[in-house]
Amino acid sequence: MIELLDVHKTFNQGKPNEYVALRGITLAIASCQATVLKGPSGSGKTTLLSILGGMARPSAGRIILSGREITSLPERFLTDIRRRTFGFIFQQFNLIRGISVLENVMLPAYPCGESHSLLRGRALALLELFGLAGRAATRVEWLSGGEMQRVAIARALINDPAVIVADEPTAHLDTKLSGEFLEFMARLKGEGKTIIMASHDPLVCEAGVVERVVEMRDGRVVAGGGAP
Amino acid sequence: MGGVEKQRCIIDFTLSSLLRRKGKNGALLVVYTLVVFLLASVMLFTQAIRKEAAAVLADAPELVVQRIVAGRHDLIPLDYMGKIGAIRGVRAVSGRLWGYYYDPLFGANYTLVVPEEQAGGLGEIAVGQGVARSSMASEGNIMPFHTHDGRLVSLTVARVLPASTELVSSDLILLTAEDFRMLFGVPAGVATDLVVAVANPAEVPTIAAKIARLLPDTRPIARSEILRTYDAAFSWRSGILLAILAGALLAFLIFAWDKATGLSAEERREIGILKAVGWETGDVLAMKFWEGSVISLSAFLAGVVLAYLHVFVAAAPLFEPVLKGWSVLYPRFRLTPSLDFAQLAVLFFLVVVPYAVATIVPAWRAATVDPDAVMRG
Ligand SMILES: Nc1ncnc2c1ncn2[C@@H]1O[C@H](COP(=O)(O)OP(=O)(O)OP(=O)(O)O)[C@@H](O)[C@H]1O
Ligand SMILES: [Mg+2]
Repeated sequence: MIELLDVHKTFNQGKPNEYVALRGITLAIASCQATVLKGPSGSGKTTLLSILGGMARPSAGRIILSGREITSLPERFLTDIRRRTFGFIFQQFNLIRGISVLENVMLPAYPCGESHSLLRGRALALLELFGLAGRAATRVEWLSGGEMQRVAIARALINDPAVIVADEPTAHLDTKLSGEFLEFMARLKGEGKTIIMASHDPLVCEAGVVERVVEMRDGRVVAGGGAP
Repeated sequence: MGGVEKQRCIIDFTLSSLLRRKGKNGALLVVYTLVVFLLASVMLFTQAIRKEAAAVLADAPELVVQRIVAGRHDLIPLDYMGKIGAIRGVRAVSGRLWGYYYDPLFGANYTLVVPEEQAGGLGEIAVGQGVARSSMASEGNIMPFHTHDGRLVSLTVARVLPASTELVSSDLILLTAEDFRMLFGVPAGVATDLVVAVANPAEVPTIAAKIARLLPDTRPIARSEILRTYDAAFSWRSGILLAILAGALLAFLIFAWDKATGLSAEERREIGILKAVGWETGDVLAMKFWEGSVISLSAFLAGVVLAYLHVFVAAAPLFEPVLKGWSVLYPRFRLTPSLDFAQLAVLFFLVVVPYAVATIVPAWRAATVDPDAVMRG
């Protein structure tokens, strides 16, 4: 369970181009559910995702992860928690070009200090699961959009996180691939993972897998907030 | 356990990441190796030359007395030996016979020396490696010489001297005192100079001063003075090399600065992704550190090995213009191989460490940004 208490985010604080992106968000996200943050462009969805996922710090407010306050942890601990708790799927997939599919999937686990061969085995098993076993040695730039998306999901899962965070996951996908993606999310939720997505794609917001839609506007929650 | 495995994984990624940018990293490696090669060549070369000089001087006498006539070195009467021998602190005095001979046939200069202990018989000579090479003489052959009064005499090569250090013995011809006097017309009763053995080396300056007072037409030369002269000659040579070097180093610094400090947009993006998927700033820096280390260590090793081959196996062809004029005798001048680890360590810190720093600093700047930057493409 992730709790946000009166979270604010101000960019470029104190400068002429100061911008308040989040204005007091209080939200509790239940475990093992799929939650969607919905709202117009610029409403603060991405900002909120990166703050609740430990990628950025709020300007004010607190974040409590499974009863533990993580807001003021030093970078090393925060990174460690983020790595073990969250798996991120980015809008542009953000795969590293020039290296193999397998290496891309293994990357998030390198700092954990697991034996290279064990890690390799786990990565291969994940690729197998996503029907990419034959592509393990391929460079990512040769992949199709759908394959890239599956590599991105496999990479998000390599550290076996409890929470999957996806920002606009279907923005670059056609209807068929979007459907496929939502099926993967359903499967992961079935395995007990928490899913948090940001999207204004009705296909996502109205998907069967989604239990809760939180609507945002101008850095505030306008519907679906409060306790789950 | 974790730490080692983690570094192994990071190195693994570093290597595949280096292979990706073959062109950029290949060019960098080539230039880097070239610079190390030049620097190490100069280092090994001057070091080896200095060693040769030290070997020359190891055998040099503590104190030599020359006679000066009209400001020039002249033959010295042997009866000066009595006066010098009477000075307190002088252990022994002996006369030396040596000189230079120009061989018009081969266009080479030889150093003719009468050794202290009689080496060969009358009419026999021992020659250095360089002499043997340039005159194509081997043991048992005869070598013709022009005497001072225009006659042609033949001396037999009884022995070719072993090449312990080429600089010492290369142009050397050892012969008897009788042959020497006959060849150059040096009368009995005079010598080229006198060698003074001193009981206590600390007294050399005092004794030298006494000799100069006692025999006003002589010039005593202490070994330390010869040392200075040699040093001047050698530092002149390394000075030229140093100038070459400074140019190379400068070019490299500009090149390395450009390559290392300018992170491409692609590299920036990658650092962002690594941070976003859970790498700490320290992990990113470790990766950049390994990257710099792989490049600079390979360049260092390759450069040093190439320099070693260049100086000691190929006889430093790149430095030939600097060596020229040394003597016509050294067409195949070969230095005694030696490696000074302290100097290699200095070279290492001069080229490897700055490069490592130059790669880490920009990476550090890129790696300390918040990982969420990557979420907005
Ligand atoms: N680093 C930054 N500096 C200044 N302003 C920023 C920064 N990051 C985001 N913003 C601003 O904060 C606001 C919220 O951005 P955010 O990316 O969270 O919106 P979003 O809801 O994800 O929009 P979209 O649907 O277009 O992705 C935007 O107006 C954006 O311009
Ligand atoms: Mg967004």
